[in-house]
Amino acid sequence: MYYVELAVQGLIYGSMYALMALGLTLIYGLLRVLHIAHAAVFTLGAYVGVITANATGSLWIAFPAAILAAVLAGIAIYRLVYAPLLDRPPLVPLIASVGLLILLEDLFRIVFGNQGIAFNENPYVYMTVTIGGLSIGVLQLAMFVGSVASLSAFAAFVAFSRTGAAWRATLGNPQMATSFGVSVAQVRYLNFAIGSAFAGLAGVLIALLNNYAEPGMGTIVSYKTLAIIVLGGLGSMRGALIGSLLLGVIESYGTVYLSGGVDRDAIAALCLIAILMFRPEGLAKRIAA
Amino acid sequence: MLEIEDLTCTYGSVVAASQVCLSVKAGEILALVGSNGAGKTSTIMATMGHVRITGGSIMLDGVDVTRLGPRHRARLGMAVVPEGRRLFADMTVDENLTVGGYTRTKPAARQARERAYALFPRLAERRRQIAGSMSGGEQQMLAIGRALMVSPKVLLIDELSLGLMPKIIDLCMETIVRLKREGIAIVLVEQNTDRALEVADAVVVLASGRVVKAGTPEMIRADDTFFQTYIGLDGGQAVRNQVEANVEQRSS
Repeated sequence: MYYVELAVQGLIYGSMYALMALGLTLIYGLLRVLHIAHAAVFTLGAYVGVITANATGSLWIAFPAAILAAVLAGIAIYRLVYAPLLDRPPLVPLIASVGLLILLEDLFRIVFGNQGIAFNENPYVYMTVTIGGLSIGVLQLAMFVGSVASLSAFAAFVAFSRTGAAWRATLGNPQMATSFGVSVAQVRYLNFAIGSAFAGLAGVLIALLNNYAEPGMGTIVSYKTLAIIVLGGLGSMRGALIGSLLLGVIESYGTVYLSGGVDRDAIAALCLIAILMFRPEGLAKRIAA
Repeated sequence: MLEIEDLTCTYGSVVAASQVCLSVKAGEILALVGSNGAGKTSTIMATMGHVRITGGSIMLDGVDVTRLGPRHRARLGMAVVPEGRRLFADMTVDENLTVGGYTRTKPAARQARERAYALFPRLAERRRQIAGSMSGGEQQMLAIGRALMVSPKVLLIDELSLGLMPKIIDLCMETIVRLKREGIAIVLVEQNTDRALEVADAVVVLASGRVVKAGTPEMIRADDTFFQTYIGLDGGQAVRNQVEANVEQRSS
């Protein structure tokens, strides 16, 4: 039962990583830009979630507010930072993205303070439920259910809607997609909106789990999601999902079996190094982009 | 239906098409022929809006589309079957058609899809198959079907027969003649000049990006020296032989 519990914990964290990694891989797939500042959108979502929950006393308002703020931030980042740089070599938007992450983290520090801000009330932190003999935190369960529901809704949108088909066509061949009336600019905005919405949602979920938001909370997530999309194969949605769940489970077991020598957060870095050495094309074949 | 005047486009310092003029009416096929590098594909891509033009004008059904992007041209009834098909390779046949009909209303798109399947029943049989996994002939059928989803007034076709078996070329040629009879204006770029002249109502010959002759297929054929100089030493036979050799090599 202990091993099952570790696997379940891993899948729960993996589902949160999937929310973040999918946004990152979507943006890489369309623009070939490594959107490192995605982590700042995640942090923004966390802050807006905490502030809104504290102001209104309602998580039902906090979640949409955080997602909306993340979407607007993502769109603004695309419009103001990446769009003017798309004709430049890939290193230029990458450097801009790293600079933006540092800038936004410092901005959070200046505006909200170095210590971060906590929820006034978070009754769910210590609540647990028992499912099939396993004791799971309510927030962890909510994180898993929220992630699976969001990712499933996104998968259905991509697979069954006309806009989803146009979106995939643009990932595969933007020039031909425009020949059939698809606006590449609109698809790019949609891409940033969806990816950022996932990051905002993940931000609030993690803030709830930690019971606070702090300026540097995106840093570790940023390199973990980078490890995941390399693990899954750059630009591959399926790879990002597999990579996320795999990293969650490896971390979960690694925390127990490697606890003497390796920190939990270092496991992602080890995976990244191993993948770059032995399978640089990633674990899954690229299916989109 | 489509009026192009003095179209000029360049890639850096290289002039791909210079002052190209052509006109095609509804229910007519215009063959755009010439040797490799004559500027045929550049003219097609510039007409669709994928290559920026540096001079000239393009009128589609009386509307000046010169400054419009490809997606607006598609909405006004222009469609392309590009060289090499350029399908959405990771998507199914059905999904490729869905993207083709992106600008249409849902009922209109449904009707256009059924029509594409009626024209090419093999596509209907393979509607769930990934486009990239189909044969060259099936892919060409899908490329034509996808373009028809636009319900085009003008259809631009680049290298219809390239790499296809003779039987499939016949089917594709029959289809475009049928589309012409339905009133679509067609611009056909074709290396296989003999086949192009068989179906064309008018011909424009390009060389080094310029129009060197325009007229009916009979006029082009009648001038033997011209035909050999600008199109091929043996009237396109060399190109045809090459294509057939490639096909045979692939099938063996």
